[in-house]
Amino acid sequence: MKNSKKRLARLLCAAMAAAMVLAGCNSSGGNSSSSSAGQGGEEQVLNIYTWADYFPADIVEEFTSTTGIKVNYSTFESNEEMLMKLEAAKGGQYDLILASDYIIETAIQKELVGKLDTQQIPNFQNINPAFQSKYYDPTNEYTVPYAAGIPLIIYNPELVDFEIKGFEDLWNPQLADSIVVMDDARNVIGLTLKSMGYSLNETDEAVLGQAKEKLMALKPNIRALDYSTPYNLMISGETAVGYMFTSQIITALNENPDLKVVYPEEGLGFGIDSCFVPSDAPHKENAYKFLDFILDGERSAHISEETMYINCNSAATPFIKEQALVIPDEMIEGAEFMMNVGEADELYQQIWTEFKMS
Amino acid sequence: MKRNKNRPPITLLPMALWTTVFVAVPLVYVLGLSFMKKAATWGVVAEFSLDSYKNLLNPVYLKVFAQSFWVAILTTVFALLIGYPFAYFTAKLPKKHRSLVLMLMLVPFWTNSLVRIYGWMILLRSQGVINGLLMQFGVIDKPLKLLYTFGAVLVGMVYALLPFMVLAIYNSVCKVDWSLVEASRDLGAGRAKAFFTVTLPLTMPGVMAGCVLVFIPSVGLFFISDLLGGAKTMLLGNLIKNELLSAKNWPMGAALSIAMMAVTLLVIRLYQHFSRDQNLEGLL
Repeated sequence: MKNSKKRLARLLCAAMAAAMVLAGCNSSGGNSSSSSAGQGGEEQVLNIYTWADYFPADIVEEFTSTTGIKVNYSTFESNEEMLMKLEAAKGGQYDLILASDYIIETAIQKELVGKLDTQQIPNFQNINPAFQSKYYDPTNEYTVPYAAGIPLIIYNPELVDFEIKGFEDLWNPQLADSIVVMDDARNVIGLTLKSMGYSLNETDEAVLGQAKEKLMALKPNIRALDYSTPYNLMISGETAVGYMFTSQIITALNENPDLKVVYPEEGLGFGIDSCFVPSDAPHKENAYKFLDFILDGERSAHISEETMYINCNSAATPFIKEQALVIPDEMIEGAEFMMNVGEADELYQQIWTEFKMS
Repeated sequence: MKRNKNRPPITLLPMALWTTVFVAVPLVYVLGLSFMKKAATWGVVAEFSLDSYKNLLNPVYLKVFAQSFWVAILTTVFALLIGYPFAYFTAKLPKKHRSLVLMLMLVPFWTNSLVRIYGWMILLRSQGVINGLLMQFGVIDKPLKLLYTFGAVLVGMVYALLPFMVLAIYNSVCKVDWSLVEASRDLGAGRAKAFFTVTLPLTMPGVMAGCVLVFIPSVGLFFISDLLGGAKTMLLGNLIKNELLSAKNWPMGAALSIAMMAVTLLVIRLYQHFSRDQNLEGLL
């Protein structure tokens, strides 16, 4: 008995030690690739890291054909995955990363983000100041905003008998088993908090407890949770109401222009996806060239047509053709950022698990 | 000659290396991770802690375990009910037709399972094939809600895992010595009695192997409940994915994985015990 306990303890110690060694190995792997970059002329390579298809393929091709710089485009599924890899590479390996605001805040705190040399990005001045000086980069030293999004409510007036004005209407019993929302703790608990008049970034346990109770009452109205393709359910008529991201709203509207978009009266949530250059990027100059390239007004307009997000570039405005959805500026002014909530994140996730299990 | 007896052949080396690097080392990593602490914002702190294991007893997590096993049990039962007759009659077909039937069953499984599940979504959705046909023939006048239900999850699970059941049972039906069944018939047993007292016990090893092969993966599958169940049913696989990616609680995800592996081992132990198949040859 005693013996086996000892053996178990020894096994556990060994396991922990091994895990630590492995974690260590992990984080020292990425540095070697940076050595190939010379002092003066850089290797004609640019390593981009972002979601699949987020930079339109034709823009990337045009960049390569005009500058001769070969682009390696690697992709991640989630912001968290990106940070994990970037941390393992100690801020090296990648030259340009495009990710969401809240994760960039963490990356900056972890000193994984390099300061931009705006001298090398003449088009930096094109950026619409409405999308700058945000909480994650108050002095605009690290980031170039690429696309902004606001999750909105969309509904099919053929299937809904009343007018939806805000989040509170989602609890209407007439909508039983007919809503699709994103499979995401922060966004859905966030809309619940908003409907109660609280902030999206609430960390108070008692308030979150109340929000949990209210959220549970929403379950009978939920038909499906879908993070990546909720517009399909709206287009096929599977659901009557949806709460989804801007680009997804526009996709749904392009297929079915009769769908109605609602700017919830309780207020909006907001997010900006921005580009940054990692602290130890092997090809910084190429990254600046690329940023300057995409900040060109005409190209930027083309990009936002492709990605269907809100454009963050003042120089692009004259080139933007009519879009299925134009979010008024004053809406953007009043929108609230979704930020890191620190330790409360665990509580959010727990509420979400309970919600899914109910 | 003598020396070789106790030394494993050198040809095993690549296999041993492979298993060490891609199976043993990650397992040890997961085990170690499960005893650490979650760091406040990101990653883990290398500090010994049993918190994650204590957390397993949290009622929400227990509920996820219960639901997962319930789904796995139902999947196994339905796969058995459909798979046994299928395997039985396939094995009794003339040899020529047998391989054709098996081919027809296996060919779709060369396609990515995600793609096949999307196929089910097209069949089940409210303007999909099934609802369309039912409405056309006037059976219903409003589309039924088939997709994003518990039933849809079950259909997808059974569909995805059925071949494992069929192949395991098929193998054991093929091995049955039919003269024993004939003998029981000659001695006066009816068809049903002959089946339940002779054929079924003889094919039991296949049934048990099939159940294990269906039960174990069905505990861990997560994309089927996401796609066909609208992510409203949370299974163990979903929970682990969630803890690792959304909640960023790696120790918890690791502890859940360890718990899942423990249950899997238990199932295999039970299989070894009841089937007397110590070397797990029936599962190959």
